[in-house]
Amino acid sequence: MSSMPLIEARGLTKKFRQAVKEPGLVGSLKHFFTRQYRDKMAVDHIDLSVEAGESVAYLGPNGAGKSTTIKMLTGILVPTEGSLIVDGLVPYEKRQQNARNIGVVFGQRTTLWWDIPVIESFNLARDMYEIPVKRYKQNLAEFTELLGLAEFMNVPAGKVSLGQRMRADLCMALLHDPKMLYLDEPTIGLDIAVKDSIRKFIRRLVDERGTTVMLTTHDLGDIEDICNRIVIIDSGRIIHDGDLGALKDNYARDRVIHFQLARPPESMAAICAGLPACETTSDDGLRLSVRFDRFQYAAGEIAAAVMPHVEVIDFHIDEPEVEDLIRKVYLGQLSLTAPESTAEATESAVATGA
Amino acid sequence: MRGFNKYFAMAKASLEVIFVYRAGFTVNLIGSVFYVVAMFYLWQTIFLGKPGALGVFTWPEMKAYLIVAFILNSTMTWFDEWQMGADIREGRVATDLARPIDFQLKRFAEASGPIPFELASALAIGAVVAFVFGGIALPADPAHLALFIVSAALATLLKFSIIYCVSMTAFWTTGMEGVSNARMAVQNIFSGALIPLVFFPDWLRGLASVLPFQGMISTPALTYLGAMDGPTTAFMIGTQAVWALGLFLFGRLLWRSAVKAVTINGG
Repeated sequence: MSSMPLIEARGLTKKFRQAVKEPGLVGSLKHFFTRQYRDKMAVDHIDLSVEAGESVAYLGPNGAGKSTTIKMLTGILVPTEGSLIVDGLVPYEKRQQNARNIGVVFGQRTTLWWDIPVIESFNLARDMYEIPVKRYKQNLAEFTELLGLAEFMNVPAGKVSLGQRMRADLCMALLHDPKMLYLDEPTIGLDIAVKDSIRKFIRRLVDERGTTVMLTTHDLGDIEDICNRIVIIDSGRIIHDGDLGALKDNYARDRVIHFQLARPPESMAAICAGLPACETTSDDGLRLSVRFDRFQYAAGEIAAAVMPHVEVIDFHIDEPEVEDLIRKVYLGQLSLTAPESTAEATESAVATGA
Repeated sequence: MRGFNKYFAMAKASLEVIFVYRAGFTVNLIGSVFYVVAMFYLWQTIFLGKPGALGVFTWPEMKAYLIVAFILNSTMTWFDEWQMGADIREGRVATDLARPIDFQLKRFAEASGPIPFELASALAIGAVVAFVFGGIALPADPAHLALFIVSAALATLLKFSIIYCVSMTAFWTTGMEGVSNARMAVQNIFSGALIPLVFFPDWLRGLASVLPFQGMISTPALTYLGAMDGPTTAFMIGTQAVWALGLFLFGRLLWRSAVKAVTINGG
């Protein structure tokens, strides 16, 4: 059905059983004889629907339930409760069929064969996904050019650089024309140039091929360049679901500009006086930081106000980190658009054990 | 057979990996040469003490037994609990699960890929060792040879199935090296790899006959020698097939229930 969203999750829940062990030898012994467990709610009754063609950033602090959600969407994990349909299939019931519709890239883990040349991993993908030869050649040629893979095509995956590996992994995940692309921290540990080329490439996929993208990241740049929509999860619950612009306006208003000074400033008070409504700090006398609201001041205005008082050698501006944004959201520092109500009612019906 | 193309491709890739790790492979091979030569001298000493036949075997037959055991032991040397356990514990299996492939068949393809090369090296070494020790008994009947090939293929599937099942303990324990060593020890005794089962005391032989391990060495080796009569051979190869397929299916079941029950660690 065309009217159905590509991903439709209702009350999706994953509970893990964690072993509880007291510290020390006595604790270990006790655990050996009387095992005790505690349920951990990794994903707690989330509702999520993603339309075809959307690009969604799925954010949250470590341990919030991001990867667990992705693993359920890809069919790797079986949900404890709730319903989940991806492109008309229940992923964990039709894991292999679902796998044909999706591409998965884990930033921390390669899907390439470690010991054989990159091109042979691609050939294996062709066989695994039974990609028609003509289509395979087209895709391979296009991705090779866009991602610059030619120079290391014949090198084993274990011997290429991280940036090269990530680009090859992207190609690997896309050769079979997946409708849905899951990216788990796709730019982690990469340099700016590679990050940039990867983001452009993914954006192009969304724009030109209509691929639906869902990515987890800790890098605001990834979100800005790729995503239209942001979903934030914390402690297994979705606490924000909306577009990027609104989130940034609401939660990323602060910027910090750092100055490196030739000499300690003569009078901090004078500088502060010139910048009302800003938070000005100077830690060791040669460094000066000003936190300001970007809607109230432009960075240039701050610089102009500081320059007359001190001799500036260098300066840089901190971009807000997604981590900060998220922290602000879940600390409730700024008002939220109400997240979708979670299925509290069904919670009492949770069956224990399994 | 179109659906099996992918597994064939994976088997080919894993054969290629053997060539990447040729140093490791060579060291393994040299180790196994020392082992088979040591076995030959050990058994030669035993047989020289009792000229003629020792129980049911003549010395040429015993030599053939040792060579057959050596060749059967040479396959699937790169597939073990340790590697599979590490993949499970460190969550690398997640990658496989996100692909349109059957996990067990993929493992089987990867374990089988190197077999042509393993077999070729083992046959070459076996021929040299056999020559140096004055030749071995050949199958008296071409039918024995044909049945032996069937039995050897089943032995290889059985080896895979056993290791696969044992590997599933990785979902509950982290000591895969211990598990692997324990399996090897039990296997070496009850498969007849160290001592042909006919030399066992009755109670131990009785135990061996109800375990799957005899199908790994003893059954194909005795089939090669034509040491069993027709019905016994058929029964033993049938038993082998039941174990090999049964454990293969049991492994699938274990994997499925383990995946359902247990978290995939790491991430």
